[in-house]
Amino acid sequence: MCLGIESTAHTFGASLVDSDDRIVTNVNSTYRPPVGVGIHPRKASEHHATVADDVVRTALSTTDGSAIYPDVIAYAAGPGLGPCLRVGATVGRALSAFLKKPLVPVHHGVAHLDIAMSIAKARDPLAVLVSGGHTSILVHVGRKWRVYGETQDITLGNLLDMFAREAKLPSPGGLSVGKEAMKGETLIKLPYTVKGNDVAYSGLLTAAAMSLRRQGNLADLCFSLQETAFSMLSEAVERSLVQTRRSEVLLAGGVAASPRLREMIGSVAEDHSASFHPVPIEYSGDCGAQIACSGRLAFNSGITVSTSDSFVTPRWRMDEVDVPWIPRA
Amino acid sequence: MDTASLTSTPLHRGAEADLSLATIGPWKVVVKRRVRKGYRNQILDQQIRHDRTISEASVIHEAKTAGARVPSIVGVDIENNAIVMTHLAGTVARECLDDMDKSEAQKLLRSIGEQIGLLHTAGIVHGDLTTSNVIVSPSGAPFIVDFGMSRRSVEPEDRGVDLHLLQRSIIASHRQNPSSMMNSMIRGYEEITGKKVASSTWRKAREIARRGRYFAIR
Repeated sequence: MCLGIESTAHTFGASLVDSDDRIVTNVNSTYRPPVGVGIHPRKASEHHATVADDVVRTALSTTDGSAIYPDVIAYAAGPGLGPCLRVGATVGRALSAFLKKPLVPVHHGVAHLDIAMSIAKARDPLAVLVSGGHTSILVHVGRKWRVYGETQDITLGNLLDMFAREAKLPSPGGLSVGKEAMKGETLIKLPYTVKGNDVAYSGLLTAAAMSLRRQGNLADLCFSLQETAFSMLSEAVERSLVQTRRSEVLLAGGVAASPRLREMIGSVAEDHSASFHPVPIEYSGDCGAQIACSGRLAFNSGITVSTSDSFVTPRWRMDEVDVPWIPRA
Repeated sequence: MDTASLTSTPLHRGAEADLSLATIGPWKVVVKRRVRKGYRNQILDQQIRHDRTISEASVIHEAKTAGARVPSIVGVDIENNAIVMTHLAGTVARECLDDMDKSEAQKLLRSIGEQIGLLHTAGIVHGDLTTSNVIVSPSGAPFIVDFGMSRRSVEPEDRGVDLHLLQRSIIASHRQNPSSMMNSMIRGYEEITGKKVASSTWRKAREIARRGRYFAIR
């Protein structure tokens, strides 16, 4: 039984995954900033410290109230907000020392892909990771995920969140923009930037925000922003898929909850006869289960860390992480 | 020019466009048609295909005017987002490079370097320069094709991406010694652009490789 602790950004979560890769418990508490304001790292970390005890306790309880003791403790070591990461790492170290169980550092982005692959039973996909921290197209080569394409500036999650804040829409931005977009009809011309397999979103954000300030129609703007941003990514995914000739396409991360994005990436996969595996919506956003799932796989590959070396890494590229458990059996 | 009435046979299906072969009078031509993408909003889709068709055709023509070996534009069918260009007989470099002996391969790379030099000097960057996008004619002269990702730019960054992508494809897909291949390429490149541009572009290419933004080499 592996306990996973997530605390990279707005969510503090704890989850147990058993030796058959089944999610036994998954308890999460998310800090919500006021409308129009982003995540304040210190305030989010204070939220995490406040709820940590309850979240972990609940995750380690059976339905009849008795306690379950994990064999492995996994914590999200990065990338993320420093103050938030340190809360989860502290809880992980304490439990590991108290229960005398091994500690496993987990890369939050790798974990997004691991849980999506576990649920989809995907083997060796072209992975599309879209969240507030990542916008990357990846394939696994050797022992590592290789970045085939990525954003050159802000992530897709950043784009939607920042635009939502500008428009005074509630967090999470992707959901609010998506809802508003359903009412939009007219496509407004916005910058569309694809460079090879890479995308760039900052110009799109500026143009959309400026149009909003000029009293543009909000529904039409949300519609156009979503269509433009998702089309850019879909095009980069299509190019990568043709070049890598993978037969599976995985879609993971918080923005993977968007029905429109699922539809578009699904259509790209279908056009090139690849199977499409979007992460189930309940596991798309940050959660303890992704860390537990990835932690179990890492532990089985012999990856552990001593308490004195259990650092957090706020900036940590996906292609620097050793991931020997892919292709999956 | 209306390509809809042309009888053509399919040649290749890419990520963005379909290529087919046709005959116009005495010429064998390639029709590159940007196809509708089901995932994309129809208005956005039409706009992108329209803009790129025009930009690609004009870049190819400009490259030709600058003296680079590229296909000749026969016509543009704006209604159908298609470009008609002359068909090039020969072999894709990706497929013939490994069958060459070292001096033959070096000669080819030097000549490819000259072609890239001509493009860069004309203010054009290719944007997707791999050995799959070089066709070697029966006489051994390389032609650069597929300007779908190309742009007008004189930035060292964009020029560096071209050299980097070529190097990546040589490392990833060929058994020839990459550093000897790239040395020959750079010599040809420098002959056209001069020492200053060549060294700044090559420096940039190595920097891009170290960023790890692109796969395969670190």
